[in-house]
Amino acid sequence: MAASFVLRRRRQIMALGVIACLLGAIFVQGRIEGLKRGAAAHPLLYLPSGKYLKVMSLGFDGLLADLLYLWSIQYYGNYDIKDRYTYLERIYDQVITELDPHYLDPYLVGALIMTAEARNPEMALRLLDKAVRANPDQWLPAFEAGFLCYNDLHDYTRAASYFEMALRVPGVHPLVRRFYAEMYNRAGDKRTSLKEWLEIYQTSDDPYAHGIAWNHVHDLKVDVDLADLTGAVGRFRDREKRAPRRLQELLTSGLLPALPRDPEDRDYLYDSQTGVVRYGGGLVLGR
Amino acid sequence: MFIRINAIALNTFREAIRHRILYLLLVFAVAMISFAQILSLLTVGSEEKIIKDFGLASIDVFGVLTAVFIGIGLVSREIERRTVYTLLAKPIHRFEFVLGKYTGLALTLLVNTCVMTAWFFLILLIKGMFDLRLVVAVLLLFFQFLLITALAVLFSCLSTPILASVMTLALYVIGHLLWSLDLLAKRLPTETGKVLCRVLYYLLPNLGNFDIKGEIVHGLAIAPGRILWATVYLLVYGCAILWTACAVFERKELQ
Repeated sequence: MAASFVLRRRRQIMALGVIACLLGAIFVQGRIEGLKRGAAAHPLLYLPSGKYLKVMSLGFDGLLADLLYLWSIQYYGNYDIKDRYTYLERIYDQVITELDPHYLDPYLVGALIMTAEARNPEMALRLLDKAVRANPDQWLPAFEAGFLCYNDLHDYTRAASYFEMALRVPGVHPLVRRFYAEMYNRAGDKRTSLKEWLEIYQTSDDPYAHGIAWNHVHDLKVDVDLADLTGAVGRFRDREKRAPRRLQELLTSGLLPALPRDPEDRDYLYDSQTGVVRYGGGLVLGR
Repeated sequence: MFIRINAIALNTFREAIRHRILYLLLVFAVAMISFAQILSLLTVGSEEKIIKDFGLASIDVFGVLTAVFIGIGLVSREIERRTVYTLLAKPIHRFEFVLGKYTGLALTLLVNTCVMTAWFFLILLIKGMFDLRLVVAVLLLFFQFLLITALAVLFSCLSTPILASVMTLALYVIGHLLWSLDLLAKRLPTETGKVLCRVLYYLLPNLGNFDIKGEIVHGLAIAPGRILWATVYLLVYGCAILWTACAVFERKELQ
């Protein structure tokens, strides 16, 4: 009876001892974490480049890229780390995508962090350029680069060149074609934009895309026609020192090969007093 | 001859499946494959890639560890426990003993790989991520295990279990780094160095031949004939190692 009591008491003391030791370990760990936070050297300074990690990975380069990608998401999602963008390009460009060049998500997420968080779209474009080179069978990196040029840099000509690159990849999403057509409009080349939108309108099987294309064709046609007519009126005025009385005079004088009609198949409105050509309807997109 | 090899193989298989380390590795492999699901929750996109990468890597690592840790003791343990004398006193050739041991472990590895693969595929099927091409990746991993088993048996005939495990693991590491020898040969200025690198490149076991994990996970095309040539490589190189193992064991003095 007494022996079992002693045994039980000894077990209780041992259990308490284990709990006390564990609590002590937690306390010490907390102190170590505090020391780490105050450390002078950047923790990423010791991360080897992807080329060396690839050698060390012994064929598990894909898995290592996964783990580093997972870590990078947590790391860049932590807003307490003030200098987290210092090695941003190194992490994505020289480590993760070097380990697994066909892994698309690190390119796309890396570019997103570079643009939206670090405010460095040129860095993002360098990463996406690498993605395009390493994955010529994928349209998404070129599309993302084009979208970045359009949305962040407002460089529509550059955006069009990236969308054109994406369009060369088989199986590209139809949306890319629409972006490509629209970039010419944004860059001021309405004629090329109209040509591209018209082709989408004529070739698309999707009723939704067909409708979108029609809206663009409608407004662009009006813009292009008005530009042609206004230009011809101006040239007429230069030659004859007066405005044409009717738009037909532009035909007889050889300034236009044919008079354009508006998208609703009506004549454009012309004021001979002021020489201004107008569209009688309303623009669909209203730009 | 085949009956004798078969008998030794079955006994080796029975002995291996009683090995506690086999179950330990198997449990770890299954846990790792399952863990990928939890890990994939932390990602942005690429959930499928992470689960597939983790699954294939787990099968690879734990398959290799099984091949090494069970393979290295196959022959040496029989000598240590002196059971080999009882066996060799019977009308059995020494090479039959080595081949029987190898076949037994190959059978163990086959069962082991099937269990890990079944669990991995079950997870993929539930998640709707199953791809039939993964079978090819696992098959090539199994070929790699067979080659490593042959190496483990060879070193088991040559030396003690600890030294055998070190040498087998070293060759596993070298086997995955051989591409760097090829790269080095191209960059070396001296002709002797180039020739030396080339000789080593072709002489050492090239385990990269069995690694198509990346191509399969990314859905990339595999060069036509790649699997066929990997199979031929296993047969040729595996035969060379086993032949050497048999020759070593034939000459071994058993006291």
